[in-house]
Amino acid sequence: MDLSPYLPLLDPSTAQALVGVLLVVAMLHVILGGCAYGVMLERKLSSWMQDRVGPNRVGPRGLFQPLADGLKFMMKEDYNPAGVDRALFILAPAFIVVPAFIGFVIMPWGGEVDITAIVQFFGLAQPNATYPVRLIAADINVGVVYLLATGGLGVYGVALGGWASNSKWSFLGGLRAGAQMISYEIPMGLTLLCVVLAVGSFNPYDIVGAQLAGQWNIVQQPLAAIIFYTCLLAEANRAPFDLAEAESELVGGYHTEYSSMKFALYFLGEYFHLITGSAFFTMLFLGGWSLNPFTGYDLPFAATPLVALLQVAVVMGKITFMVSFAMAIRWTIPRFRFDQLMRLSWEGLIPASLILLLMVAFAVYFDALNYLWAGSILCGVLIYMFSWIMPSSSESNRRIKMIGSRFSPVVDGEGTLAGRPAVALDDRAMPDPRQGPISIH
Amino acid sequence: MTESGELIQYLPVAVVILMAIGFVAINIIASAVLGPSAPGAIKGLAYESGMDPIGSTKKRFSIRFYMLAMTFLLFDVEIIFLYPWAVTYSQLEPGSADARLYLGRILFFILTSIVAYIYAWKKGVFRWD
Repeated sequence: MDLSPYLPLLDPSTAQALVGVLLVVAMLHVILGGCAYGVMLERKLSSWMQDRVGPNRVGPRGLFQPLADGLKFMMKEDYNPAGVDRALFILAPAFIVVPAFIGFVIMPWGGEVDITAIVQFFGLAQPNATYPVRLIAADINVGVVYLLATGGLGVYGVALGGWASNSKWSFLGGLRAGAQMISYEIPMGLTLLCVVLAVGSFNPYDIVGAQLAGQWNIVQQPLAAIIFYTCLLAEANRAPFDLAEAESELVGGYHTEYSSMKFALYFLGEYFHLITGSAFFTMLFLGGWSLNPFTGYDLPFAATPLVALLQVAVVMGKITFMVSFAMAIRWTIPRFRFDQLMRLSWEGLIPASLILLLMVAFAVYFDALNYLWAGSILCGVLIYMFSWIMPSSSESNRRIKMIGSRFSPVVDGEGTLAGRPAVALDDRAMPDPRQGPISIH
Repeated sequence: MTESGELIQYLPVAVVILMAIGFVAINIIASAVLGPSAPGAIKGLAYESGMDPIGSTKKRFSIRFYMLAMTFLLFDVEIIFLYPWAVTYSQLEPGSADARLYLGRILFFILTSIVAYIYAWKKGVFRWD
């Protein structure tokens, strides 16, 4: 098939961009399907962990449940409560979905594939030109900065949604989400910087390439990987950091007043964040399509189509593992309290990631990048040993002293308690005379 | 060999932004068209655990959020300055005079923000109890 009379000849970078467009359209649908079945997977995993059955009614083994849920969302009433800021109320779901959708374009799915034969088949090849294309949507060399920029945009959706809803629950949830997201963006940026320093490039392909040639970054910088993953969960508002929508304190958080498809978009945004976040973790710390965590034989960078398929499969497998890991965390670890959440970031992760950054900077100076793992472990030990030097915080969870309560009893002139039984001062449970003293242990 | 970072490589980004906006628009319009519509005065009240809403929602909120946001700006701007430094610094020859200069300058730069950070900590910006 010769299209050359109708179309201009392709130059290699245009070919790359066209492949990128094809890839972005395909991957967007793959991730959207992943979101729908991610919800299903989460419900199934949680039911297994809690010894339940989980959804099993719609279709074989409940496999059509996401479709039924989607249809149900679509057919429900899209209600705008009284007093909402209509424009912002409708725009807020877009503000959370659009940044979530555009983040993944810098994710490398596989290595370099030569498509010269295909271009020549359509007769569009320039003479003497080869067309190696990379399996990435947007091959831009500021990939890591782009990732950080789109990640930071997500806060607008929750903050605006909470503000526009005209509900106190939403308002508090939006405030909390805003404070949480900006707090965890700093250690995230600093640990990302550790990787950039060690690799010396913003380009996602250089980061994966360095891990193909050497060790995975999770082996080289385990502490940075842990901090980054913690921040990832906090940025995606996942448990144990889902304070913004803590149903036991804030009803629904910032999406209390949302119904129908607008609510579904918030939900979708959360799962999209989770999947793209796991993809970035795979790229930054798990070596992309690398199979060998250590130095040695590995999948090649330039690939035949069959090997490229294997590379994509490896990346997908790692992403699935990381998503399932986040779900297991959600159903294992209890939710933080808000002051604990803030302290973890500001008094824990930020100093720790600054120390890690300085460690990597010195390792670059002394050309000791092969011993980063030792430095990372050393930093962990140092942080643990010298944490008492940091200025101490006040004791949290102080009891609120209400006059007359058992924590602040009313005292009469002689300094005795005004007509209160002594046991009211005691925080322990009253002993039951029928059963003897109560033992908590 | 393709060159990373040419302007045409941003074409997929433009495509995905348009797709995302289209996705949101279609979904919101579809649910508004397909779903039922039965507004009511009671139904329109904001949810306040079953009671009638009391007072305005746009209340003043804690000063801590403002102080936190300002401290965030301090660190965020610092990180923005650190990124170009990171790429330049890691391409210098290790142990050379240039590398020493770059390292010393960034150490001083980080020190300035650490001073501000300790000040904020001592002032209780990070205390939420």
